[in-house]
Amino acid sequence: MNLVRAELERLFARRFVQLMVVLLALAFAVTAATTLAGSHKPSAAELSSARAQATEARQSMETHFQQCLARRNGTLPPSDSELYFPTDCSEIDPIRQDRLPIAADFLPGVFSFAQQAEPLLYFLIAFLVLFGFLVGASYIGADLNSGGVVNLLLWRPRRMTVLGAKLGTLLGTVLALAVAASLVYLATFWVIGQTAGLAGRLSGDFWRSLGAVHGRGMVLVLLASALGFAIATLGRHTSAALGAVAAYAVVWELGGRLVLEIVDAPRPDQLMLSSYIGAWLTGEARFYDSQICRGDTAGGGYCEGFYSLTWAPSLLVLLLLTGGLTAAAFAVFRRRDLI
Amino acid sequence: MSAVIEIEGLRKTFHSLRNGRRVAVDGFDLLVETGQIHGFLGPNGSGKTTTLRALLGLVRADSGRMAVLGEPSPQLLPRVAGRVGAIVESPQFFGNFTGHRTLRLLARAGGVPTSRVDEVLELVGLHDRGDERVKAYSLGMKQRLAVASALLKDPQLLILDEPANGLDPAGIREMRDLMRSLAAAGVTVLVSSHILAEIQLICDHVTIISRGRRVAAGRVDEVLAGHDRHEFLVRVAEPERAAELLRAAELTATVDGGTLVVGGATDATVISKLLGEQGLWVGELTPLRPDLESVFLELTGAGQPWVPRQVDDSALPPGGQGDAVIDLERGVDA
Repeated sequence: MNLVRAELERLFARRFVQLMVVLLALAFAVTAATTLAGSHKPSAAELSSARAQATEARQSMETHFQQCLARRNGTLPPSDSELYFPTDCSEIDPIRQDRLPIAADFLPGVFSFAQQAEPLLYFLIAFLVLFGFLVGASYIGADLNSGGVVNLLLWRPRRMTVLGAKLGTLLGTVLALAVAASLVYLATFWVIGQTAGLAGRLSGDFWRSLGAVHGRGMVLVLLASALGFAIATLGRHTSAALGAVAAYAVVWELGGRLVLEIVDAPRPDQLMLSSYIGAWLTGEARFYDSQICRGDTAGGGYCEGFYSLTWAPSLLVLLLLTGGLTAAAFAVFRRRDLI
Repeated sequence: MSAVIEIEGLRKTFHSLRNGRRVAVDGFDLLVETGQIHGFLGPNGSGKTTTLRALLGLVRADSGRMAVLGEPSPQLLPRVAGRVGAIVESPQFFGNFTGHRTLRLLARAGGVPTSRVDEVLELVGLHDRGDERVKAYSLGMKQRLAVASALLKDPQLLILDEPANGLDPAGIREMRDLMRSLAAAGVTVLVSSHILAEIQLICDHVTIISRGRRVAAGRVDEVLAGHDRHEFLVRVAEPERAAELLRAAELTATVDGGTLVVGGATDATVISKLLGEQGLWVGELTPLRPDLESVFLELTGAGQPWVPRQVDDSALPPGGQGDAVIDLERGVDA
């Protein structure tokens, strides 16, 4: 417990951590201020007009769907024969759409919390992932490089305990910061929606969906922090973690993807870590692959050409990667000569 | 006296892709007993710091046995870590912390009462500068802070690697007084240093390492006595004639300007009598006693004047392969 308290004090005293917290606050303030400046409370007339437009849009979608069915049944009036319809009418069935037009879609200059909360949360999670990775890498990297770890080991010659206390302190601190920041962030935008915009339809489904994204985002932040910590421990330096990520992104995500496309490899996206990150965060990610439909369309059948990655296998991949690297970092640190 | 530090047959090899394999410590032995102020000497790259790091569990030894305060190290080092204060090379501290905060954090991590922080800052002369940031400290002040960190635990054993680094003459003297007072209070001190005169002044025992092997060990006065050639400096009016007379008496005599260096005499009176009987009156007759520096340079092969010495040029122990070392307490090890 004493070790964790000491590590907490060291972590918060780091200039880099302080800088990242300031940057987080700054990004938050800028986003909130611009949102506030660009939004206004809609008048009754604006609301009425928007609702009418939304109703009209929904009716138009329904009409288009019915026309599609009529064409399929051969009952479409000749006057409508010029219209475009998909082969499969279910594609434009309003009931099967992710969402239908609502009044908020027709209120320009009005911030709608219900509509914007999720994209805003994704932005915050992206920042927190970066924050966790950089803080995790610099926290141990700088200490290994400067001799701080050696100092500590002269006091507590238990390597696993010292490294474990550092990792635990890091993860606990990052999680507490991330949860606090995201709650304050969402609460601020909720207040903006209530006072200078539109709250929107905040149903149980909305909060459940937002909570799921938030929860998955927090897990991702923790994984990124542990990953930065592990790579910097293995490489003895903060820059090892930054270099490893940059090299991976350039060599595999860009170069590897290009090569896989050239050789026409099947489902290249499922070989990319970014796909699993996206799938974990959103719950499911869909990728197009032309090879899926080869053969299926020969008989004239319909084939979408998409395949999915869901959150469960994505979490497994991310856990295996982070867990493996963290275990390797502990194993190497246990035997390493500290000179 | 009981052993506080025991090292037997310590061996450590470093491997790197660029430089290949390098033996840093090669079958090294060290024995430090309770209450000693034990000097640990060796040229640059001789294996001093590697030995201390291995002892403190910072590097893994290839082979050998080590024990600290009776506990095998590094396996059971945590059991005694609370009684061992150590600095290895120049410790790096967090520049944005004050000296006081640095020590408070270490005290907290080690379960030491934070009230001890002020005491040790006072001891090392940093009491009035404890609230300044470490990055504003001079090298000497950082070194004092390092020593303060080692003293925090009120240790029974203090291991100091080059504690005088960066200290001014007054600071070196204060460090010397501090070590003496600690030893008087029953603390065993192992100190490595390049300042041989300091070691000779402070330490009662010494171990000298060269190219990873022990080349001398024992009480400082006995190590020096082991290298005493029983030579005398003689100032006389006719040095050439005096030299002939002494050689005729089966003594060695070398003329050096207006003086003679005479060897082989068991007693100064022999020289005085021999020359006096021939009407040569001695103006000065001084025994030439070796100091630690001359012994160190002789043992480590670092004494060639005007020849740039490379770090790996240090001498091997007698016997070429280091099979025999001078140990005045145990005799000559085979």
